Amino acid sequence: MARYGLLIWILWFASGAFAQEGKVDYELDLEEVPVLAKRPLKHIGIQKTRLDTVVLHESPALSMADVLLQHSTLFVKSYGRATLATAEFRGTSASHTQVTWNGMKINSPMLGTVDFSMIPSYFIDDVSLYHGASSIALTGGGLGGAVELCTKPQDVRGFGLKYVQGIGSFSTYDQFLHLNYGGECWQGATRVVYSTSKNNYRYTNYDKKTDVYEDGVWVDSYHPVERNKSGYFDDFHVLQELYCRTSGGHRFGVAFWQTVSKRGLPFLSVDYKEDTEFTNEQKNNTARAVLSWDYLRERFKWAMRAGYIYSDLAYDYFTKRQETVLSDITHSRSYANTFYGQLEAEYMPSSRWMLSAQASVYRNGVKSSDNSPYHAGDNYDEGRWEFSACLSARWKPTERFAVAACLREEVYGGKGVPPIPALFWDVVLSKRWNIVAKGSIARNYRCPSLDDLYFRPGGNPDLKPEHGFTYDGGIEWRKTGKRYSVQGNATAFDSYIDDWILWVPNTKGFWQPSNVKRVHNYGVELSAGAEYRFPKGVVLHADGNFSWTPSLNYGEQANSNDASYGKQLCYIPLYSAALTPRVAWRNWTLLYKWCYYSERFTTTSNEVSHITGRLKPYYMSDLSLEKRMAFRWLDLSVKGVVNNLLGSEYVTVLSRPMPGRNYEVFLEIRPRWSHKQ
Amino acid sequence: MNGLKRFWMYAVLAGSVCLCGCDNVGGEEEEEFDVAGDGVFVLNEGNLNAGNSTLSYYNPETREVENGVFHRANDRKLGDTGQSIAVRDGMAYLAMENSGVIWGIDVRTFKVRGQLLTKGTKIIHPRHIHFVDDTTAYVTDLISPYVNIFNPKTFVYRGAIPTGQKALNGHSSTEEMVQRGKYVFTNCWSYNDKILVIDTEKHAVCDSICLDSPQPKSMKLDRNGKIWVITDGGYSTDGGSFGDNIPCLFRIDADTRKIEQKQALDADEANVQIALNGRGDTLYLINNDIYRMAVTDTHLPVRPFIEAKKDADGKRHKLYGLSINPVNSELYVADAVDYSQAGVVYRYSADGKPVHEFRVGINPRALAFK
Repeated sequence: MARYGLLIWILWFASGAFAQEGKVDYELDLEEVPVLAKRPLKHIGIQKTRLDTVVLHESPALSMADVLLQHSTLFVKSYGRATLATAEFRGTSASHTQVTWNGMKINSPMLGTVDFSMIPSYFIDDVSLYHGASSIALTGGGLGGAVELCTKPQDVRGFGLKYVQGIGSFSTYDQFLHLNYGGECWQGATRVVYSTSKNNYRYTNYDKKTDVYEDGVWVDSYHPVERNKSGYFDDFHVLQELYCRTSGGHRFGVAFWQTVSKRGLPFLSVDYKEDTEFTNEQKNNTARAVLSWDYLRERFKWAMRAGYIYSDLAYDYFTKRQETVLSDITHSRSYANTFYGQLEAEYMPSSRWMLSAQASVYRNGVKSSDNSPYHAGDNYDEGRWEFSACLSARWKPTERFAVAACLREEVYGGKGVPPIPALFWDVVLSKRWNIVAKGSIARNYRCPSLDDLYFRPGGNPDLKPEHGFTYDGGIEWRKTGKRYSVQGNATAFDSYIDDWILWVPNTKGFWQPSNVKRVHNYGVELSAGAEYRFPKGVVLHADGNFSWTPSLNYGEQANSNDASYGKQLCYIPLYSAALTPRVAWRNWTLLYKWCYYSERFTTTSNEVSHITGRLKPYYMSDLSLEKRMAFRWLDLSVKGVVNNLLGSEYVTVLSRPMPGRNYEVFLEIRPRWSHKQ
Repeated sequence: MNGLKRFWMYAVLAGSVCLCGCDNVGGEEEEEFDVAGDGVFVLNEGNLNAGNSTLSYYNPETREVENGVFHRANDRKLGDTGQSIAVRDGMAYLAMENSGVIWGIDVRTFKVRGQLLTKGTKIIHPRHIHFVDDTTAYVTDLISPYVNIFNPKTFVYRGAIPTGQKALNGHSSTEEMVQRGKYVFTNCWSYNDKILVIDTEKHAVCDSICLDSPQPKSMKLDRNGKIWVITDGGYSTDGGSFGDNIPCLFRIDADTRKIEQKQALDADEANVQIALNGRGDTLYLINNDIYRMAVTDTHLPVRPFIEAKKDADGKRHKLYGLSINPVNSELYVADAVDYSQAGVVYRYSADGKPVHEFRVGINPRALAFK
């Protein structure tokens, strides 16, 4: 009740006490201006989704997993709040999504995946999603696609400060600080996010039942209300950026990102152990740094990058029972070091041609050990060089037609994969409506991760690279009028992945990977956005997406009883959709987020008669209301957020209950250093 | 209808769709069962950390199978990683390893009659249950360096027996148990090579037997007081190993605690298991195929008793579990298929003829006969 009161008070405070702030608003009724944007040669035929900064910087409590879940057609598999969240393109697996940060690949060299719950969206200024073959121009190994995360200079003059404080349900506190300085040449910024929560939300546990006895006779039973055990998290991130731009066309940049995280690993809903007796937690310390130099001239561009990633990951599972002789059940420590270098050149001999070349090198080293007596021998210490080079040519023979070709070659640990070719094209169907048809065709490879090859026990050094063939085609359109703008994209895709690496349990009690599956993914991705500006200052904006992604297993059957042939892969929804309408009026913004996942299967044979064989479909709704206020010395913003607005009881993964309706309030402060603002 | 009205109609419609809350979990009605006569319980292990272990019930007479009976009868999940099932006095006891709970259910109605939780005990990941007498049952554990004791009638926890093992290279993965007189023998599986001997009068470990093959996986006691143990040979991969991958079959005299026989077996792709018939005079084991030998024999026969099912393309099914009906010596053999879908149980007659096969839950592991 106190939380409701606080929310009401803040909204009243924002609406009443500062109502006079409305008078500073004004409207400009602009004339319609036709936009004749030229299609960059670099984007010929590319299926790319770019996420708006408004979306990324909506709240410091959001991770990239939350943003991708709502604003993209990627499937985000989340194990709960502030727990592992991976993103998958077009029905592929998490390791088929390559992720770069300021050009450097940040997929874990051990697992090949990225935990998007560990990336605060406030730290990212620009996100581009490259679907399918489009990822080849960026990086190799993206059988599903690639996510490009970038920070960039704010292009401001003087000193700026922004502080956001969030207080929410389950003792959640989110703090965000942004300091930036900009001059003619230099731009610098420091960002800090600190999020902490007990995350001990209560839920009705339908997986358990409590029996009631009277005088030893059963009289009743009920599903108990439990709290999320061991779900706490304590995440600290700091990002330091420094950029310099010279008049001679040079741009230098350095970005350093440090993450220190401690997270409890929540107990399953079917776990009867007590978190007072056991600790199950993961500690992560990751530092990433990228140095960049870009040299831009009228017809060519040189770029050079160097980077380094250090990551240590500790996983501890132990009993806190004092009298127990042994305490460490799992005492895993992993250390990964990645060195990175990249050269890039682009040359435009004419306005119709663009040639580019890119070469990168990575040196990954992993040392993994477990000192628990229950995992004796689970150690490895391996390293690997990875080279990748890509040549591209883009040609626009006419104003309406363009074509591009890429050829990438990759070498992993001394073993080369066959050349990776890709062909892209696009055609302007209507200049008036900016309708462009696009298409691409490519093959691709992904090499096994170091855990796939060397993890002990189970690693399989004989694994072959996964390889695939993909093609897609679609149209995009955009129309802008005096008061409105609409845009959309529709893409159909078809791809095959062979030698899909899958870890399966063996009879010795551990898991082993092997090249077992052949998967056929196909489907449709739709996205659209619209904005309408009403005469009285009301702006209605909405964007949404929908995807249909059959992802079918056609791999070799385990034996004749194997009913998985031709069935949808586990946990990948056939349909998913999201809608985000936003209404802005003067200094008020009302945002509603809705997303939907269709039923998902938890067995490879898609048995629905099996009790735990499927997860039912669910919708999710979030709502936020924000009021911005401008004063002489500072700008203020107050925002109230209701997550899971309708209080749905749901799970996204078996035995992982999600929180019910919960709240968070944010206060944003931006001092004005100059009175002229 | 003008445009504005149409707009608002669509807006309200769209809003209504969006505002429909959608739970994807909830309670269900409890089903009533009353199964008389003989029956076979199949405990399906499920997948680690998925909480999808289930219990199936098979009627050998009608050849009907009911899956998920625990959930259907009790409107609650069985748990995570079902490890073993033991039947005694009209009650089936199920050890759920990763959930840290032992259930007691009525064998006719499948209703829960008792549960033993880990709180206040030294149980961590319970594996197997052995009944010493009517009021004493032992529980082995994958993690805990104790064999725990509880009353199987009341589910009251009674205490724990320290296994006395050192933390280093000797953890307490106690597994199956057999009893000879007042002594209970338990094999230590994971990263281990010991058989512990427990004095049931003192509830204390009094001796141990060391094997020269790692990871004793399954253990049975025959009618002659001989303990049969099969090891899985540990594992051996490039640069790291605990063992040599070669399973071995041991015969140990329970009274003298001396190893009498040892036979190296084929490197195994299947889950090594041994089982005895009801009279305790015939030993069955999985070593890729199913072998049978008299307990007085010195070696396994060269040819298998039942060959693991082979597909038209020559692919052999990897067997996951084995149990023998103590009354009629019918064999029940489990096939986990790809470990992520409903497994299959094959039923063979005592002379090895196929009788029936049926689908159960994920990773059928342990069977028990009512």
